[in-house]
Formats: sequence, structure tokens, C-alpha cells
Amino acid sequence: MNTQKLIISFFLFVCFGFSGTAQKTILFSKATVHIGNGKVINQGLVGVKGDEIILVENALTHNIDKAVWDTIIDLKGLDIYPGFIAPNSKLGLTEIDAVRATRDFKEVGTFNPHVRSLIAYNAESDVIGTVKTNGVFYTQATPEGGVISGSSSIMSLNAWNWEDAVLKTDDGIHLNWPNPISGGGWSGKSKSLNENYSTKLKEIRSFFEAAHAYSKSTDIFDQRFEAMRELFTGEKRLYIHGNQMRAILDIIDFQRELNINYPVIVGGYDAHKVTSELVTANVPVIIKGGHTLPSNEDDPIDLPYRLPYLLNEAGVLFCIQNSGRMETMNTRNLPFLAGTAMAYGLNQGEALSAITLNTAKILGIGEIVGSIEVGKKATLFVNNGNALDMRTNNIITGMINGEFIDLTNIQTDLYDKYQEKYKKDQQN
Amino acid sequence: METVRIFICISLFSLIQLFVHSQTPIPNNGVKESEPSALVLRNATIIVSPEKTINNASIAIKDGKITAVGKLIRFPEGAVIVDMDGKTIVPSFIESYTNVGLPNVKRKEWSPRPQIESSKDGAFYWNEAIHPEVDAARHFKVDPKASKKLQEMGFNIAVTHINDGIARGNGAIVALGEVPEEKAIIKTKGAAFFSLQKGVSRQTYPSSQMGAIALLRQAIYDAQYYAVNKKELQENLSLNALSEQLNHPIIFVVEDKLEVLRANKIAQEFDLDFVIIGAGNEFEQINDFKEWEQPLVLPIDFPEAYDVGDPYISQQIPLSDLKEWELAPSNPYVLQSNKVDIALTSKGHQDAKTFWKHFHNALERGLSREDAIAALTTTPAKIFGISEQAGTLEKGKIASFSVFDADPFVMKNTTLLESWSMGVKHHTKEVADIDIRGKYRFSLPETSYIIDIKGSAEKPTGTAMSFFKSVDPETKLSTIDTLKSKVNITVDYRDAVFYFDVKDNYNEGVVTLHGNYSQKINAFLGQGQLPDGEWVKWSGIQLSSLENDKDEISKNTISVDTSEVGDIWFPNMAYGFDTIPEEEIYVLRNATLWTNEKEGIIEKGTIILKDGKIDFIGTGNFSIPSRAIEIDCSGMHVTSGIIDEHSHIAISKGVNESGQAVSAEVSIADVVRNDDINIYRQLAGGVTVSHLLHGSANPIGGQSAIIKLKWGYSPQEMLVKDMPKFIKFALGENVKQSNWGDYQTIRFPQTRMGVEQVFYDAFLRAETYKKKWKKYNELSPRQKEKGNISAPAIDLELESIWEVKNSERFISCHSYVQSEINMLMNVADSMGFTVNTFTHILEGYKVADKMAKHGAGGSTFSDWWAYKYEVKDAIPFNANIMQEQGVLVAINSDDAEMGRRLNQEAAKSIKYGGMSEEDAWKMITLNPAKMLHLDDRMGSLKEGKDADVVIWTDNPLSINAQVSKTFIDGELLYDAWKSVDEYYRIQEEKARIISKMLTSNKKGEPKKTFVKKKERHWHCDTIGESKH
Repeated sequence: MNTQKLIISFFLFVCFGFSGTAQKTILFSKATVHIGNGKVINQGLVGVKGDEIILVENALTHNIDKAVWDTIIDLKGLDIYPGFIAPNSKLGLTEIDAVRATRDFKEVGTFNPHVRSLIAYNAESDVIGTVKTNGVFYTQATPEGGVISGSSSIMSLNAWNWEDAVLKTDDGIHLNWPNPISGGGWSGKSKSLNENYSTKLKEIRSFFEAAHAYSKSTDIFDQRFEAMRELFTGEKRLYIHGNQMRAILDIIDFQRELNINYPVIVGGYDAHKVTSELVTANVPVIIKGGHTLPSNEDDPIDLPYRLPYLLNEAGVLFCIQNSGRMETMNTRNLPFLAGTAMAYGLNQGEALSAITLNTAKILGIGEIVGSIEVGKKATLFVNNGNALDMRTNNIITGMINGEFIDLTNIQTDLYDKYQEKYKKDQQN
Repeated sequence: METVRIFICISLFSLIQLFVHSQTPIPNNGVKESEPSALVLRNATIIVSPEKTINNASIAIKDGKITAVGKLIRFPEGAVIVDMDGKTIVPSFIESYTNVGLPNVKRKEWSPRPQIESSKDGAFYWNEAIHPEVDAARHFKVDPKASKKLQEMGFNIAVTHINDGIARGNGAIVALGEVPEEKAIIKTKGAAFFSLQKGVSRQTYPSSQMGAIALLRQAIYDAQYYAVNKKELQENLSLNALSEQLNHPIIFVVEDKLEVLRANKIAQEFDLDFVIIGAGNEFEQINDFKEWEQPLVLPIDFPEAYDVGDPYISQQIPLSDLKEWELAPSNPYVLQSNKVDIALTSKGHQDAKTFWKHFHNALERGLSREDAIAALTTTPAKIFGISEQAGTLEKGKIASFSVFDADPFVMKNTTLLESWSMGVKHHTKEVADIDIRGKYRFSLPETSYIIDIKGSAEKPTGTAMSFFKSVDPETKLSTIDTLKSKVNITVDYRDAVFYFDVKDNYNEGVVTLHGNYSQKINAFLGQGQLPDGEWVKWSGIQLSSLENDKDEISKNTISVDTSEVGDIWFPNMAYGFDTIPEEEIYVLRNATLWTNEKEGIIEKGTIILKDGKIDFIGTGNFSIPSRAIEIDCSGMHVTSGIIDEHSHIAISKGVNESGQAVSAEVSIADVVRNDDINIYRQLAGGVTVSHLLHGSANPIGGQSAIIKLKWGYSPQEMLVKDMPKFIKFALGENVKQSNWGDYQTIRFPQTRMGVEQVFYDAFLRAETYKKKWKKYNELSPRQKEKGNISAPAIDLELESIWEVKNSERFISCHSYVQSEINMLMNVADSMGFTVNTFTHILEGYKVADKMAKHGAGGSTFSDWWAYKYEVKDAIPFNANIMQEQGVLVAINSDDAEMGRRLNQEAAKSIKYGGMSEEDAWKMITLNPAKMLHLDDRMGSLKEGKDADVVIWTDNPLSINAQVSKTFIDGELLYDAWKSVDEYYRIQEEKARIISKMLTSNKKGEPKKTFVKKKERHWHCDTIGESKH
């Protein structure tokens, strides 16, 4: 292990050492390459130039032209993964949950499509440093609150500021669907029938109808509706947060009737009950990862663990997010959510896709990231073992958009500092 | 001398007699009315007592009392005799739970600022929820309107109390109805009432059920002390009243089956007899009532059906609610058939109709007529010590009873005709004096009409038929046209008035008739006016009476049929057992055994579970006991059960007693809840033992419970036997209320500086307290007697703190930041004890060497951080560093979700810092067992240790690991294969009950929209209490 680390550090030094104006080429050689689309190349070659992947081949069948590569890193026995993507996240938007001054994800108001998360994204967040080191390289910075919380953006975890962090600006609007049964869980309120459900639905519908009408005109300007325009005319996603069966069915009707181009359901606790409707309507789901309790005491006790498998079997396009309690700092456990899905029915490739390529596809960035394929961003990491198992999630090196990342963070610093202290104490 | 003395005795005796038998004189305004003369109700079916019913009997009443009952009694001279005509007379029911005639207590307005001290002026107890001095009799006013509701249910006697608070005061036994004020109170101090509900008090303490329990216990100790040392102490009205009440019947009101058991535990502690007014779901815990000795008062306000018309909604209704709905009417029968002496109360009923419906539901589930009568009459009379006056209709007892048109213990839809209270008749039901329903011919001078009278006796309705005969002049054929018209009928005492349209050959228009009805011959005789205004005489002869519908009678006869009713599950909810799994002998073969002992991990080993213990482990020779169940564990891993050092599952009504900075007197063990689904879910995660901690809302929290996750068992059975004593301490932001909002700035401490002082203060107080006791205990019995020295007061809080100081009770201290960790260790060092466990301990890595030196263990999260300011320096390498420095380290959950995958959390220490797999595994098994001082019984696979064993499908630290089976004390309590079948069983059971509910919905029976029971999950910092 240690020698390996040393060798790689050396190569990194070489890489950085040579980074000049010309784009250098790097070849990651002979690792097990987990593409992200379900496929694995046992002895793979991954070539990177600048921020782009330019070669993905099988080492057994492909002849390496050593002259082409500035650097060749031999990774035999190791694994390469595409960087993981955390959708529906507050990472970078908050630092310490209990300190109000650090909470920048919830604006005042009911319909806030114009509110944009990206400008609040703190690229220097200490939490980001601890997430990156577990292989999560992109996050969808997502606002919350109200009926329409605002616009999310997809951000890189390796950046100086939000402007160079952004991978996709204002990728979608987040709509919080009312719950047909409200209360329960953390609310401290009893679960009960939501008497206002249909009223709320009408409010949402009329807001969207007005936005839709606005999208066809050009002579007036409305800040809120302007933000909504591309839901009807472009590629902007509409992320509709809902969990209960009735909500999901109503969402499916809603997106069809309002001609939403790219609807996505976020949550989807009951999605397994309406899979054929989801498949027919071609609506993907960003499900909550398995580290959550069943919503109802009668539910199968392993339902959250098994939900990915159930959706996968039914052919629903889905990916995994980790919203919920302590979600920000827990973003680093995203790989283990996929791992748990693997334990409960998915194969390793499918589990990996649920936090890489499928996520990218659902967020509308599938053409540029999410897998190790030629033409995509060089966002990947080298790991010793299965990165979805916490015992073996050990990043040896990683790059985001072609740049090697720092593998230290505030926590490794403190670790080193106190190791040093005890070492000294022992010597004295 | 002698004769004089005798004379005096005699005159005294007669004087006493005089006082006993006459009312004290009351000035009278006007001419004095004569005393009512005697009264005899005869020809009735009289239910004298549960065992004795007499037909065609009479009852004689004088001066509000029964003077004779029987078939052949001598009617007193001058008595008014009333014929009851086969009606049924039932002794007055006795209501145990009501506040009839008493004021409703209002709550003070809410203020965001906490009220720490009592706001009540006067020499009362320090806590506003303890007000035993309240006497209902002093506040009682005759309230005919409120009485009427109870009288309609059959209650003419009630024990009424002001239903607020924990020690509520004395209830008064009163006669209901319009009884003169001075006669209304039968007994002023009927019984003292208690509960676990704080009521309207705004004082912060108690904020939880365990706090309420501790407060009541302390108050009782205080009252006992007060009683002994009354002379030396200042007068305290509350303690005065309470000490007196302890010698009399005590009624305890609860809200849940488990609270019945909790109240009973208090009774046992003080050797008191509590009669508990239960919650209605005791049947779910029936095994705990099999040896019940005291009577139990049961409410019968059975839950209403849910509106299940919408399948999207009905699927959300938990099975527990459905099963409770279906089985609740069986509660009285189930308890009665387990030999519990039950009484019934109308608690929860607003109207008589529902009360009777529910009462009949209980009878239909098997409660016998005799038991039902006793439950409403003789049993409550016995409970309240008024068997001499009430409960049966026997000579000398109060003339309070109800008159029905039929036996309400046999027939449904009976009508309560009269209520009698203290010999005074109350008409609760206006009954028509005549019942004219039937078919008649009304004959008028030249013509007649057929009148059919239906409806009720009070409001009859009718149709009239008149016939117009016409003859065709050509064919000479005659035709008869019949006119059917509505008859308007008014019954007025014994007369009836009719008007209706007619059309015949004599009259056309409206006929109006008034007649007197003879019940003997069922005929009318009277006069009326024809449409043209002519006055005529008329008579009406009954052609046929309204026939008694045989179907109607059989439909209204109560019959027992429980064939459609489901079984009680243990617990009575999803994943409950039909019966508790029996202990078997299990032989697990070919397993990879994680022993946690020097043998390490044994490949292809065998482990035998027998008599609740590990009987054999290893690869050596063994013999398979007969009847053993063999399980082939090839490819499987077997470990000892996971022990969660920090958990808040399975707790009722509050995990924090946050009302005071020090609450060492409260105990989680008092409020363990066995119907939390998280018990089952965590079994499925391999957890077998949980340390249930008080929260972290105050520096000195409450005592812990250590439970085995024995799903299906009672809370008492779940507690680990000879449980080592633990208490929760806490430091930092929670105890200084940093994140509780801007108003919570009153309670000391508000800074870390103050926290230290709270500890010193508590320990020093405990020391002084114990010195007092030590001094007392050193005295010989003779010295005590001679010096007239009584025992010092018992202080539950200081008892517990003293145990800490004396190393009999171990601390598990919520902690984050290094400064405070060092502080507590310094406090402990200076007081001469060791901090057993620092829990959370996220900065433990900074002071691990000091912890190791002090001897404290560290029970931490694997990777939580950044959720509040004090955890910003938390690092996931914490467990590793502490371990390297020699600290005993555990990984805990503090979370119902994380508790079901602690194996994953332990595995993170392999990633962060490179811990070995065996060491990582020990952090959730052997190490917490050591921390909890249970490692002699648990924590590893070793012969003789408890058979708390888990079979895993893979290396338990692998992400792929799933629990296949979990055993506790050798019983198979979770089986992954069965769990799948369980799910289908749950769905079937839900469908079955929902379809019953649908039938009830369709019948138009009362229904409610879905509101699910609260199911809160507790964390350290959850404040307040909640219904579960």
C-alpha cells in the first residue's frame, strides 16, 4: 500500500511538474476500469488529455504507443471509477447545520423559481473536502423550501469559486409536491390526511399555466416566469419532489398535461408501486438512498435497501441521492448507499450506475460526465478495491475535469496533527 | 353512680341514633312541604344484583332508600303504587371517571419563556402538577344537564374529580340528577386520584413520562416523611393531604396499557393498592394481567373505524391501528376471562347511544351478563367502599336505579325510560302514554276509513284510505277509486288528534278527529268535524296491531360471535408473533465464527445454543442433542449480537427530562416500550442489546435501561437481568441550551463554566445527604427510639447521584469538546470515581491519552460531524486514535436508522485509520459489552455466555452482509426468510380488517379520517413528550 502511494505521488509530482501551457497526456494503465454504464474492463487503459478522456481501451487488445503519452501510470491490481455525482444536495450551501449563519439553501417565499443556488455555493467549504476524498466529485447544489424552491446547478467539488465550479448552470427547477398524507417522520406531527392537498395542486397548476403562457410571449418580463421558460422550451429539468403513491401518479399526469420537457421525480418512496406508469411516461426517479427507515411500520423492513433493485427490475431509470438528516456531511457516504443497493439485489455495475452515469443522464449531463468514455470529462479516481464498500473505499488518486485533486482535508490534517502529537509524547 | 352512667350511655346512644337518622335542619322558606310518602314500583323485572334477577317483583322506596324488594313484599301504608308493566329495573351504575359538577381547569397562557418554579402561592408542594389537597366535594355543584348524559347511560352515582395533574386530589361520590345540593354528596372523600399526566401546569418539570413517574414517587416519599415528622415540619397542605390519601383507596388514571404496568410498579414500591383506570388496550399485553389482583377499571370508548373508501389512504393505515380497532371491544372479555376483576367506565363517551352501542359490543365479544352487571355496579361499589349503600337493589341501599323497557344486558336497542336518583324520579325519556300503532277502521256516521298507523309511539305517522264508488250509467258496472292520503297525528296524553284528506261518496276534503284511546280495548272514541263543518261522533276499532317482528327481536338479542375476529399478535402490530417463539436447541454448523475471544475467527465451526446459553463452540467433537434444530451455515458468518451502546428506541413519551438541570431521579427503565417497530427492524440488523439512554438536555440526565431486543415480550422482560446501573450525563451545547432558541436563556447553566458547577453542586449535595443517612444508620434501634430520631427524608435525585460518586452507578456522558471532557474527568478524579463512558466523544482523539489514564471508555460515531458548532473538529479517525491510545472504544448509533446497520459503521474504521477487521467488529460487540459491564455474559461467542447470536450471509463488515437470523437468549426472534412471509401475512390481515371497516363504513357507522398515531424517533436532543 505505502509503496504504491509513494509511486503514485511521484507520478503526480511529475504531472504537476510538467503542467505548462501545453495539454499533457496521461495514460492510466492496466487497472480494472469500471466504466459507469455497467461494463468493466479488467485490464483497461484510460487516456486523458487536458480535461478530456481521449482513450478507453482493453490493455490486452490495444497496443500502447508510449510516445503519445507524457505520463503512463501503471495501476495493475487497482480499480478506476468515474467520479460519483451527488444529486439533490446541500453540499456547499451550508457548513454547520445548527449554525443559522451558515445555512444558505432555503429562501423565503412560496414560488421562488428565480432563486439560484449556484451563487451561494461555497467552493472552499470544509465539508466538500471530506466528501471529495470518498470519490464524490460533482454535486447538484439544490435549494429547498416553499413550493418552488429555486434553481439548482451542478457543481464540481474541485474549484476556487462557484464560477469555475459550475458544470451546468441552472440545470433545473425544484418543485415540492404536496403530500397527500402529511406529517409523520421528523415533523413530530401525526400522519394525517392532507385536507389542503387538492387546493395546493390547483395553486401549482395555475402557477405553471401562467408560466407556460409566458413562455410563448416575448414582450413582457417576469423574473419568476423567466426562470421557468426553459422548462417548456429547452432542456431545463423540472425536479418534482414527491414520495407517496398518489403524489407520484398525480405528478405523472401533471407533467404530461403541462408539457414539461424533462420531468424528474425526486424522492419516490412509493415508486415501486407505480413502475409501469413511470416507464410509460418515461419519468426518471432520483430515489433516496437506503440509509433511511421505512416510512410505515408495516412496510417491508428492507424496503429502502431494496427499492433500487425493484425499480431496476421494472426498467425505471433511477439514481440515488442522500437527502435527509445530516445530509450535507453524509454526502461522503453516497458510495455506500449504492453499495447497500448492491447488497440488496443490484449487481455492481448497476449499483455504480446509480451514482454515476444514470445520475448524469437524469441531470442532463450524461453527454459530458458520468462514465469513463472517450470525449467525456476526465473525472475519475483510482481506488484499491471496491469503492462501494466502506472497508475498501480508499482513493489513491483522483482527478476532476482533468485536474488531480488534493487528498487531504481538514480531517486528515487533524488526524496527522494528533498522530504527530502522540508520537512526540511517546518519544518524550 | 352506676345507674347514672348507664342512663347516660343510653341517652348518648339514642342521641347518636337521632343524628344518624335525620338530616340536620335547614331553614325553610314558606310552608314546609310534607316528606314524600313511600312509593312502590310493582310488576317489574328487577335486577337485584349481578347474580339475582326477579320477575314480577316490586320495590318499595322511602326517604331515598330501598325499604323492600321482592315478589311478595308488604306495601307500606299510604304508598303510591306504580305499575311498571314488565319493565326492567337495573341498579344504578357507578361511574369511576368523570368531572361532572366540577369546574373545567384552564391552562395558563403559553409563554415562550420557561417557568421553572411553581407559580402557585401558599403552603403547597413545589410542583404544580402535585395538588392532592384539591377536594372535589368543595367545588361540586349539582349540574342536572351534565348529569343527564350520565344518567342516560345508566349512571346515577358517580365519583367525580377535577381531572388535572399527577396528584389530582380527592374525588367525591355524588348522586346525579336534580338532587338537592345537601343530599347530592354521598361521600366527600371518595378516593384520591392520580395520573401520569402533568395537566395544565406550565412548570417545566416534568417534561416527560419518566419525569412524571419520578415526581410522583418523590412526592409519596415526601408525604411519608412528612407524616412521621409532622410536628417538626412546617405545615404543607399538599403533603398533609397526600399522606392521608395513602391510607385510602387510590385511583390511578392512565392512557396506555403500558402505563397500567408503570402505575402498578409504583404501587408495588410503596406497597399501596392502586385501582387503575385503564386505557382500553390492555388485551394487547394480556400476559401481564394473568396474575393481576386489584380490580381494573376499563373504558369502553372503542376506536371508531377509519374512512377506508380511498385505497390510497387506507394502505397507509398501520396494521396496529386496524388490529386495535378490531380487537378493542374484546378488551373487557379478555381481561375478565383471565380472572381480572373488572369495572367499566363511560370515560370518553359524549352520548348515551354510543355508550350503549359499545357496551353491547363488549357483550357480543363474550363478556357475560353477570360480569357486565357487576362491572358497572358491585365492583365499582366495592372499589369506592360504598357497597353498603350502592351497587345492588337491596333493602337499605340508596334508591338509585334505571328503568328500561327490556333487559339491556340481553337486548340491544332497549330504551331507558326512567332514571331514579336518591329516590327521585328523573324522566330521561319522554314516553308516550299510549301506543296507538296498528291498523284501524275509523267509523263515522255514514262512512268509514281505514287508517294505518306506524312510526314510533311518540311520533306516529299514518295513511288513510277512502273509497269513492262510481257506477257507469251505461254498463252499470261499478268501480271503486281508492284515495290514499297522509294522516297527521298528534298524541296528547291519552288522546289522539287526526286530520287527513278524504274523497268518497259522502265527504271530500279534510276530516279532523279527536279521540280518547282505550288501551284495554285498543279503540278510539271521540268527535270530529267533516269537511263541510258538520260535527260527528266517531269510533276507531283496531283491526290489527303492529306486529312484533321476530327478526327484529332476534336481531336485537345480544349473541356472542367471535368467529370473525382476528387474534392478538405479540406485539399487536405488523411483524408481531402469534405466540412467542419457544426456546429450542439450535446447532449452527459449518459457520465462520467470529468469537471475539483468543480463538479469533474459526472457520467451519459449530456453535450450539441451548437453554438460552452458548452450550458449545468450536471445531472439536460435540454431540447433537436430541430435538435439536440443525442449521447449515456454509458460507455464512456467525457472530455474537451487536450491542448498541447509545440508543433511544423503544421509549415512551419523552427521552429527555429537560425540566431541570439535574434529573438523576428519572429512569428510562420506567418507560420502556415494547411495541416500537424499531425493535424488530434492529433485530434484523443484528442488534440484540441496546443501552437506552436518557437524552442530553441537561448536565445530569436520567438513569438508563439496558434491554435485550426481545420482540414480543413485555418491557419488564426486555430489561437485562441484574442490569448494571447507568446514568446519562451531558456536556456542551445541549445542556446549555445553545440551539433551543432565544427564549431558553433562563435555566442554569448557559455556559460550559456553569456545567462544571452543576456537577460539583450535585455531588456535594449528595455527600451531605448521605452523611445524614450514615449518621442515622449508625444509631442503634434503641438510640433511635430513645432520642425519638426518625429517618432522614429520601431524595431520589441524590440517591442516584450518590451511587455515581460511590461507583455503584456508571456514567455515560454525552460529550464533544476536549475542554469539557477534561473538566468532567477532573471533577470525577477530585470526587474519587471514574467516568465510565464518554459517549459521542468526537474530540476524544485530542485527549485520548488522558482518557486512557483516567480509565474512561469512548463510544463514538464513525463519521458524523458538522451538524453543530461543537462537532466541527470531529474526525472519522477518532475511533482509531482512541484505540491506539488504549481507550476502550465502541461505535454507537444514537439513531433508529443507523442502529440497523452498525456493522457498516464499524467497518468505516477500517477505511479511516486502518483498524483490523476483528478490532472493528469488537467495537460493536465485545467493547460495548465491557463498557456496560456485561462482558461476563455477552459480547463474544463463548461457552456459557448468553445465546445472543447472529447469522450473517457474508463477512459482517462487508457491505454485502445481511442478517439471516438473530437469536436472543437462544430464541429465534428474527428470521429473514420468515420476514418475507410475514410481509404477506401483514397484507392479508390488513385486507381482512379493512374489508370489515368498509362494511362498517357502508352501514353508515361513525368513522373518522385517517390520523396516524405519532411515532417519533428520539435522539439525544429531542425535547418534550409525545404520544406514541
